[in-house]
Amino acid sequence: MTGRGSPSRFLAAVLHNGVGRYVRQLQRLQLLFSPTAADARGARQFVEEEALDFARRHPDVVLYVSPCTGLAPRLLAEYLNGTVREELIASKTSEEIMQLATKLAGQSGLDIIRIRKPFHTDNPSVQGQWHPLTNKPSVLNVRGPCLQPQ
Amino acid sequence: RSEKPNWDYQAEIQAFSHRLHENFSLDLLKTAFVNSCYVESEEARRQELGLDKEAAALNLQDNSKLAEQGMSFSRSYLTQCFEGAYPALPAKGIGALVDFLTSQELVSYVAQNLSIQDLTLCKEFPVPPNVLQRTFFAVIGALLNSSGPEKTGIFVRDFFIPELIGKDLFEIWEVVNPMGLLVEELTKRNISSPEPRITRQLGVSTVLPLYFVGLYCDKKIIAEGPGETLLAAEEEAARVALRKLYGYTENRRPWDYSRPKQGFAADKAIGSN
Repeated sequence: MTGRGSPSRFLAAVLHNGVGRYVRQLQRLQLLFSPTAADARGARQFVEEEALDFARRHPDVVLYVSPCTGLAPRLLAEYLNGTVREELIASKTSEEIMQLATKLAGQSGLDIIRIRKPFHTDNPSVQGQWHPLTNKPSVLNVRGPCLQPQ
Repeated sequence: RSEKPNWDYQAEIQAFSHRLHENFSLDLLKTAFVNSCYVESEEARRQELGLDKEAAALNLQDNSKLAEQGMSFSRSYLTQCFEGAYPALPAKGIGALVDFLTSQELVSYVAQNLSIQDLTLCKEFPVPPNVLQRTFFAVIGALLNSSGPEKTGIFVRDFFIPELIGKDLFEIWEVVNPMGLLVEELTKRNISSPEPRITRQLGVSTVLPLYFVGLYCDKKIIAEGPGETLLAAEEEAARVALRKLYGYTENRRPWDYSRPKQGFAADKAIGSN
Protein backbone atom coordinates (compact mmCIF):
# COMPACT_ATOMS: atom_id res chain seq x y z
CA MET A 1 0.00 0.00 0.00
CA THR A 2 1.16 3.50 -0.64
CA GLY A 3 1.94 5.86 2.18
CA ARG A 4 -1.30 7.69 1.70
CA GLY A 5 -3.42 4.59 1.71
CA SER A 6 -2.21 3.23 5.02
CA PRO A 7 -2.49 5.08 8.32
CA SER A 8 0.41 7.15 9.56
CA ARG A 9 1.25 9.12 12.67
CA PHE A 10 3.76 11.67 13.89
CA LEU A 11 6.61 10.88 16.19
CA ALA A 12 5.44 11.33 19.74
CA ALA A 13 6.11 10.09 23.24
CA VAL A 14 3.37 9.01 25.59
CA LEU A 15 3.01 11.74 28.22
CA HIS A 16 6.37 13.36 27.21
CA ASN A 17 8.08 10.28 28.60
CA GLY A 18 11.77 11.09 28.45
CA VAL A 19 11.54 14.69 29.61
CA GLY A 20 10.91 13.94 33.26
CA ARG A 21 11.91 10.46 34.35
CA TYR A 22 11.76 7.50 31.99
CA VAL A 23 8.82 5.21 32.68
CA ARG A 24 8.84 1.84 30.98
CA GLN A 25 5.72 1.69 28.89
CA LEU A 26 5.23 -2.06 29.06
CA GLN A 27 2.85 -2.92 31.85
CA ARG A 28 2.44 -6.66 31.73
CA LEU A 29 3.41 -9.61 29.59
CA GLN A 30 1.20 -12.65 29.50
CA LEU A 31 2.76 -15.83 28.21
CA LEU A 32 0.07 -18.29 27.12
CA PHE A 33 1.29 -21.66 25.98
CA SER A 34 0.26 -25.26 26.01
CA PRO A 35 2.20 -27.75 28.12
CA THR A 36 2.07 -30.51 25.54
CA ALA A 37 1.95 -29.10 22.03
CA ALA A 38 5.05 -29.47 19.91
CA ASP A 39 5.33 -25.89 18.72
CA ALA A 40 5.29 -24.54 22.24
CA ARG A 41 8.64 -26.16 22.98
CA GLY A 42 10.52 -22.88 22.81
CA ALA A 43 7.97 -21.30 25.10
CA ARG A 44 8.35 -24.07 27.65
CA GLN A 45 12.13 -23.76 27.54
CA PHE A 46 11.83 -20.01 27.95
CA VAL A 47 9.66 -20.49 31.02
CA GLU A 48 12.07 -23.00 32.53
CA GLU A 49 15.30 -21.18 31.91
CA GLU A 50 14.99 -17.55 31.07
CA ALA A 51 11.69 -16.19 32.34
CA LEU A 52 13.05 -15.68 35.83
CA ASP A 53 16.04 -13.70 34.54
CA PHE A 54 13.74 -11.57 32.44
CA ALA A 55 11.53 -10.87 35.41
CA ARG A 56 14.50 -9.95 37.57
CA ARG A 57 15.92 -7.63 34.99
CA HIS A 58 12.61 -5.89 34.41
CA PRO A 59 11.03 -5.48 37.85
CA ASP A 60 8.49 -3.05 36.49
CA VAL A 61 6.90 -5.52 34.09
CA VAL A 62 4.51 -8.07 35.55
CA LEU A 63 5.06 -11.42 33.85
CA TYR A 64 2.16 -13.85 33.93
CA VAL A 65 2.82 -17.41 32.82
CA SER A 66 -0.34 -19.38 32.13
CA PRO A 67 -0.27 -22.83 30.63
CA CYS A 68 -3.54 -23.70 28.92
CA THR A 69 -4.13 -26.61 26.59
CA GLY A 70 -5.00 -26.45 22.96
CA LEU A 71 -3.93 -22.87 22.33
CA ALA A 72 -1.33 -21.53 19.96
CA PRO A 73 1.49 -20.15 22.08
CA ARG A 74 1.47 -16.37 22.22
CA LEU A 75 2.87 -13.42 24.08
CA LEU A 76 0.40 -10.66 25.01
CA ALA A 77 1.92 -7.30 25.83
CA GLU A 78 -0.16 -4.59 27.51
CA TYR A 79 1.09 -1.04 27.49
CA LEU A 80 0.38 1.93 29.70
CA ASN A 81 -1.72 3.74 27.13
CA GLY A 82 -4.00 0.74 26.77
CA THR A 83 -2.68 -0.94 23.61
CA VAL A 84 -2.52 -4.71 23.67
CA ARG A 85 -0.10 -6.39 21.29
CA GLU A 86 -0.16 -10.07 20.57
CA GLU A 87 2.79 -11.98 19.14
CA LEU A 88 2.72 -15.61 18.14
CA ILE A 89 5.70 -17.56 19.39
CA ALA A 90 5.00 -20.95 17.83
CA SER A 91 8.16 -22.78 16.81
CA LYS A 92 10.48 -20.12 18.11
CA THR A 93 13.50 -20.96 20.16
CA SER A 94 13.95 -19.72 23.67
CA GLU A 95 16.54 -17.06 22.68
CA GLU A 96 14.25 -15.70 20.02
CA ILE A 97 11.44 -15.40 22.54
CA MET A 98 13.82 -13.60 24.88
CA GLN A 99 14.77 -11.14 22.16
CA LEU A 100 11.12 -10.62 21.31
CA ALA A 101 10.28 -9.97 24.94
CA THR A 102 13.06 -7.41 25.34
CA LYS A 103 11.96 -5.73 22.14
CA LEU A 104 8.39 -5.49 23.44
CA ALA A 105 9.68 -4.18 26.75
CA GLY A 106 11.42 -1.30 25.00
CA GLN A 107 8.48 -0.25 22.85
CA SER A 108 5.86 2.26 23.77
CA GLY A 109 2.27 1.39 23.10
CA LEU A 110 1.85 3.74 20.16
CA ASP A 111 0.74 2.16 16.87
CA ILE A 112 3.33 0.58 14.66
CA ILE A 113 2.45 2.44 11.51
CA ARG A 114 4.40 4.71 9.23
CA ILE A 115 5.95 7.63 11.11
CA ARG A 116 5.73 10.70 8.98
CA LYS A 117 8.83 12.47 10.22
CA PRO A 118 11.63 11.02 12.30
CA PHE A 119 11.78 14.18 14.42
CA HIS A 120 9.41 16.30 16.44
CA THR A 121 9.79 19.54 18.27
CA ASP A 122 7.51 21.79 20.21
CA ASN A 123 9.57 24.93 19.73
CA PRO A 124 10.34 24.95 16.04
CA SER A 125 11.62 28.49 15.90
CA VAL A 126 14.03 30.28 18.20
CA GLN A 127 14.33 33.66 16.53
CA GLY A 128 10.74 33.77 15.41
CA GLN A 129 9.29 32.12 12.35
CA TRP A 130 9.79 33.95 9.08
CA HIS A 131 6.73 35.55 7.58
CA PRO A 132 6.63 37.65 4.42
CA LEU A 133 6.90 40.89 6.38
CA THR A 134 9.91 39.94 8.47
CA ASN A 135 12.67 41.87 6.86
CA LYS A 136 10.66 44.48 5.06
CA PRO A 137 10.98 48.09 6.18
CA SER A 138 8.00 49.17 8.27
CA VAL A 139 5.48 51.85 7.41
CA LEU A 140 7.23 54.37 9.65
CA ASN A 141 10.56 54.06 7.89
CA VAL A 142 9.33 54.39 4.36
CA ARG A 143 9.34 57.96 3.29
CA GLY A 144 7.10 58.91 0.48
CA PRO A 145 4.86 61.67 -0.51
CA CYS A 146 1.66 59.75 0.16
CA LEU A 147 2.35 59.01 3.87
CA GLN A 148 1.49 61.70 6.40
CA PRO A 149 4.06 62.32 9.13
CA GLN A 150 2.61 60.90 12.37
CA ARG B 1 -8.93 -5.22 34.49
CA SER B 2 -9.25 -7.27 37.63
CA GLU B 3 -12.08 -9.24 36.06
CA LYS B 4 -9.98 -10.35 33.11
CA PRO B 5 -7.66 -13.36 33.45
CA ASN B 6 -4.15 -12.95 34.80
CA TRP B 7 -4.32 -10.35 37.51
CA ASP B 8 -2.24 -10.28 40.65
CA TYR B 9 -2.85 -7.13 42.68
CA GLN B 10 0.24 -7.43 44.85
CA ALA B 11 2.54 -7.94 41.88
CA GLU B 12 0.93 -5.08 39.98
CA ILE B 13 1.44 -2.72 42.89
CA GLN B 14 5.09 -3.66 43.22
CA ALA B 15 5.60 -3.23 39.49
CA PHE B 16 3.90 0.18 39.75
CA SER B 17 6.36 1.41 42.31
CA HIS B 18 9.32 0.07 40.33
CA ARG B 19 8.05 1.62 37.15
CA LEU B 20 8.00 5.04 38.72
CA HIS B 21 11.48 4.48 40.22
CA GLU B 22 10.15 5.24 43.68
CA ASN B 23 10.09 3.30 46.93
CA PHE B 24 6.62 3.37 48.29
CA SER B 25 5.60 1.78 51.53
CA LEU B 26 3.16 -0.78 50.19
CA ASP B 27 0.36 -0.41 52.72
CA LEU B 28 0.26 3.37 52.25
CA LEU B 29 0.09 2.77 48.53
CA LYS B 30 -2.70 0.26 48.91
CA THR B 31 -4.64 2.70 51.07
CA ALA B 32 -4.11 5.34 48.43
CA PHE B 33 -5.96 3.30 45.86
CA VAL B 34 -9.02 2.66 48.01
CA ASN B 35 -11.83 5.09 47.33
CA SER B 36 -14.72 5.77 49.65
CA CYS B 37 -17.30 4.75 47.06
CA TYR B 38 -15.58 1.38 46.85
CA VAL B 39 -15.77 0.86 50.60
CA GLU B 40 -19.47 1.64 50.63
CA SER B 41 -20.27 -0.57 47.68
CA GLU B 42 -18.27 -3.46 49.10
CA GLU B 43 -20.04 -3.20 52.42
CA ALA B 44 -23.40 -3.11 50.68
CA ARG B 45 -22.48 -6.13 48.59
CA ARG B 46 -21.36 -8.12 51.60
CA GLN B 47 -24.53 -7.28 53.42
CA GLU B 48 -26.54 -8.43 50.48
CA LEU B 49 -24.65 -11.70 50.47
CA GLY B 50 -25.90 -12.26 53.97
CA LEU B 51 -22.96 -11.50 56.25
CA ASP B 52 -23.48 -9.74 59.59
CA LYS B 53 -22.88 -6.09 60.00
CA GLU B 54 -19.63 -6.58 61.95
CA ALA B 55 -18.29 -9.12 59.52
CA ALA B 56 -19.25 -6.84 56.66
CA ALA B 57 -17.26 -3.88 57.95
CA LEU B 58 -14.05 -3.80 55.96
CA ASN B 59 -10.81 -2.86 57.61
CA LEU B 60 -9.96 -0.49 54.85
CA GLN B 61 -9.23 3.17 55.24
CA ASP B 62 -9.93 5.27 52.26
CA ASN B 63 -7.69 7.72 50.57
CA SER B 64 -9.30 11.09 51.32
CA LYS B 65 -6.67 12.22 53.83
CA LEU B 66 -3.82 11.18 51.56
CA ALA B 67 -5.55 12.87 48.64
CA GLU B 68 -5.78 16.18 50.49
CA GLN B 69 -2.17 15.99 51.56
CA GLY B 70 -1.07 15.19 48.03
CA MET B 71 -3.11 17.96 46.51
CA SER B 72 -1.93 20.67 48.89
CA PHE B 73 1.69 19.54 48.57
CA SER B 74 1.62 19.53 44.79
CA ARG B 75 -0.04 22.92 44.61
CA SER B 76 2.43 24.53 46.98
CA TYR B 77 5.40 22.85 45.31
CA LEU B 78 4.31 23.91 41.85
CA THR B 79 3.66 27.47 43.05
CA GLN B 80 7.16 27.60 44.47
CA CYS B 81 8.63 26.23 41.25
CA PHE B 82 6.91 28.82 39.15
CA GLU B 83 7.75 31.67 41.52
CA GLY B 84 11.37 30.66 41.20
CA ALA B 85 11.31 30.21 37.48
CA TYR B 86 9.23 33.17 36.40
CA PRO B 87 9.70 35.77 39.12
CA ALA B 88 7.94 38.46 37.11
CA LEU B 89 4.74 36.47 36.70
CA PRO B 90 2.02 37.85 39.00
CA ALA B 91 0.24 35.70 41.53
CA LYS B 92 -2.86 35.39 39.41
CA GLY B 93 -0.85 34.01 36.52
CA ILE B 94 0.92 31.49 38.73
CA GLY B 95 -2.44 30.54 40.21
CA ALA B 96 -3.85 30.00 36.73
CA LEU B 97 -0.90 27.78 35.76
CA VAL B 98 -1.18 25.69 38.92
CA ASP B 99 -4.93 25.37 38.48
CA PHE B 100 -4.43 24.17 34.93
CA LEU B 101 -1.86 21.61 36.02
CA THR B 102 -4.03 20.26 38.81
CA SER B 103 -7.23 20.35 36.78
CA GLN B 104 -9.34 17.25 36.40
CA GLU B 105 -8.72 16.56 32.73
CA LEU B 106 -4.98 16.86 32.93
CA VAL B 107 -4.54 14.86 36.10
CA SER B 108 -6.88 12.13 34.94
CA TYR B 109 -5.04 11.96 31.60
CA VAL B 110 -1.70 11.59 33.39
CA ALA B 111 -3.18 9.00 35.74
CA GLN B 112 -4.60 6.96 32.87
CA ASN B 113 -1.29 6.82 31.13
CA LEU B 114 0.37 5.64 34.34
CA SER B 115 -2.13 2.79 34.60
CA ILE B 116 -3.64 4.11 37.81
CA GLN B 117 -7.11 3.29 36.54
CA ASP B 118 -6.20 -0.42 36.61
CA LEU B 119 -5.19 -0.30 40.24
CA THR B 120 -7.92 1.95 41.69
CA LEU B 121 -10.63 0.31 43.68
CA CYS B 122 -13.79 2.14 42.77
CA LYS B 123 -17.49 1.57 42.37
CA GLU B 124 -17.94 2.49 38.72
CA PHE B 125 -16.06 1.31 35.70
CA PRO B 126 -14.57 3.03 33.66
CA VAL B 127 -13.21 5.13 36.48
CA PRO B 128 -14.61 8.70 36.33
CA PRO B 129 -12.02 11.50 36.07
CA ASN B 130 -12.59 13.06 39.49
CA VAL B 131 -11.91 9.71 41.14
CA LEU B 132 -8.74 9.34 39.07
CA GLN B 133 -7.65 12.81 40.11
CA ARG B 134 -8.24 12.03 43.77
CA THR B 135 -6.41 8.73 43.50
CA PHE B 136 -3.41 10.31 41.83
CA PHE B 137 -3.15 12.92 44.56
CA ALA B 138 -3.53 10.17 47.13
CA VAL B 139 -0.59 8.36 45.51
CA ILE B 140 1.41 11.57 45.79
CA GLY B 141 0.36 11.83 49.44
CA ALA B 142 1.48 8.25 50.03
CA LEU B 143 4.82 9.04 48.44
CA LEU B 144 5.11 12.12 50.63
CA ASN B 145 4.61 10.02 53.71
CA SER B 146 6.95 7.27 52.55
CA SER B 147 9.89 9.12 51.05
CA GLY B 148 9.77 12.68 52.25
CA PRO B 149 9.13 16.01 50.55
CA GLU B 150 12.22 16.21 48.37
CA LYS B 151 11.64 13.03 46.43
CA THR B 152 7.97 13.80 46.14
CA GLY B 153 8.86 17.22 44.80
CA ILE B 154 11.00 15.64 42.09
CA PHE B 155 8.13 13.26 41.29
CA VAL B 156 5.65 16.12 40.93
CA ARG B 157 8.11 18.03 38.80
CA ASP B 158 8.76 15.06 36.51
CA PHE B 159 5.13 14.37 35.81
CA PHE B 160 3.37 17.72 35.86
CA ILE B 161 5.78 20.15 34.32
CA PRO B 162 6.23 18.35 30.95
CA GLU B 163 2.51 18.95 30.44
CA LEU B 164 3.36 22.62 29.93
CA ILE B 165 5.56 21.85 26.93
CA GLY B 166 4.24 23.49 23.80
CA LYS B 167 1.57 25.45 25.66
CA ASP B 168 1.35 29.21 25.48
CA LEU B 169 0.81 31.31 28.60
CA PHE B 170 -2.39 32.93 27.44
CA GLU B 171 -3.91 29.64 26.42
CA ILE B 172 -3.81 28.66 30.05
CA TRP B 173 -4.39 32.03 31.71
CA GLU B 174 -7.44 33.92 30.45
CA VAL B 175 -6.67 37.63 30.41
CA VAL B 176 -9.56 39.86 29.45
CA ASN B 177 -7.76 43.17 29.16
CA PRO B 178 -4.10 42.63 28.23
CA MET B 179 -3.53 46.33 27.54
CA GLY B 180 -4.64 47.33 31.02
CA LEU B 181 -2.46 44.64 32.57
CA LEU B 182 0.48 45.76 30.48
CA VAL B 183 0.05 49.39 31.57
CA GLU B 184 0.02 48.24 35.21
CA GLU B 185 3.17 46.19 34.76
CA LEU B 186 4.98 49.03 33.08
CA THR B 187 4.02 51.54 35.76
CA LYS B 188 5.36 49.09 38.35
CA ARG B 189 8.68 49.15 36.56
CA ASN B 190 8.56 52.94 36.07
CA ILE B 191 8.42 52.79 32.31
CA SER B 192 6.13 55.19 30.50
CA SER B 193 2.93 53.82 29.06
CA PRO B 194 3.10 52.34 25.58
CA GLU B 195 2.13 54.16 22.42
CA PRO B 196 0.69 51.95 19.70
CA ARG B 197 1.73 52.63 16.13
CA ILE B 198 1.01 50.72 12.95
CA THR B 199 4.26 49.19 11.76
CA ARG B 200 3.08 47.22 8.79
CA GLN B 201 -0.17 46.83 7.01
CA LEU B 202 -1.26 44.64 4.14
CA GLY B 203 -4.46 44.43 2.22
CA VAL B 204 -6.23 47.25 4.04
CA SER B 205 -9.15 47.45 1.69
CA THR B 206 -9.65 43.72 1.23
CA VAL B 207 -11.62 41.15 3.15
CA LEU B 208 -8.55 39.92 5.03
CA PRO B 209 -6.49 42.88 6.11
CA LEU B 210 -3.38 42.36 8.19
CA TYR B 211 -2.08 44.99 10.57
CA PHE B 212 1.09 44.80 12.61
CA VAL B 213 0.87 47.16 15.56
CA GLY B 214 4.01 47.98 17.49
CA LEU B 215 4.04 49.25 21.06
CA TYR B 216 6.62 51.96 21.71
CA CYS B 217 7.76 53.14 25.15
CA ASP B 218 9.89 56.32 25.01
CA LYS B 219 10.20 55.84 21.29
CA LYS B 220 11.73 52.35 21.71
CA ILE B 221 9.79 49.34 20.53
CA ILE B 222 8.86 46.72 23.11
CA ALA B 223 6.61 44.39 21.15
CA GLU B 224 4.86 43.94 17.87
CA GLY B 225 1.78 41.90 17.17
CA PRO B 226 -0.34 41.02 14.15
CA GLY B 227 -4.09 41.11 13.84
CA GLU B 228 -6.97 41.33 11.45
CA THR B 229 -8.30 44.64 12.68
CA LEU B 230 -6.41 47.43 14.39
CA LEU B 231 -7.94 46.60 17.75
CA ALA B 232 -7.11 42.93 17.47
CA ALA B 233 -3.56 43.76 16.46
CA GLU B 234 -3.13 46.11 19.40
CA GLU B 235 -4.38 43.47 21.81
CA GLU B 236 -2.05 40.89 20.35
CA ALA B 237 0.86 43.30 20.64
CA ALA B 238 -0.03 43.83 24.31
CA ARG B 239 -0.02 40.07 24.82
CA VAL B 240 3.38 39.72 23.14
CA ALA B 241 4.72 42.47 25.39
CA LEU B 242 3.36 40.70 28.47
CA ARG B 243 4.93 37.44 27.40
CA LYS B 244 8.28 39.14 27.01
CA LEU B 245 7.97 40.86 30.38
CA TYR B 246 7.07 37.67 32.21
CA GLY B 247 9.74 35.67 30.44
CA TYR B 248 7.30 33.11 29.08
CA THR B 249 8.14 33.49 25.40
CA GLU B 250 8.29 30.54 23.06
CA ASN B 251 12.04 30.70 22.82
CA ARG B 252 12.79 30.77 26.55
CA ARG B 253 15.19 28.25 28.06
CA PRO B 254 13.46 24.94 28.65
CA TRP B 255 12.83 23.73 32.17
CA ASP B 256 15.80 22.28 33.95
CA TYR B 257 15.12 18.73 35.10
CA SER B 258 18.67 17.74 35.89
CA ARG B 259 19.50 18.80 39.40
CA PRO B 260 17.27 17.88 42.28
CA LYS B 261 15.92 21.12 43.70
CA GLN B 262 17.62 21.96 46.94
CA GLY B 263 15.41 21.93 49.96
CA PHE B 264 11.69 22.11 50.26
CA ALA B 265 11.34 25.45 52.02
CA ALA B 266 13.97 26.65 49.72
CA ASP B 267 15.66 29.28 47.75
CA LYS B 268 13.79 30.73 44.85
CA ALA B 269 16.80 31.96 42.98
CA ILE B 270 17.30 28.96 40.77
CA GLY B 271 19.29 30.66 38.08
CA SER B 272 19.16 28.13 35.25
CA ASN B 273 15.40 28.53 34.84
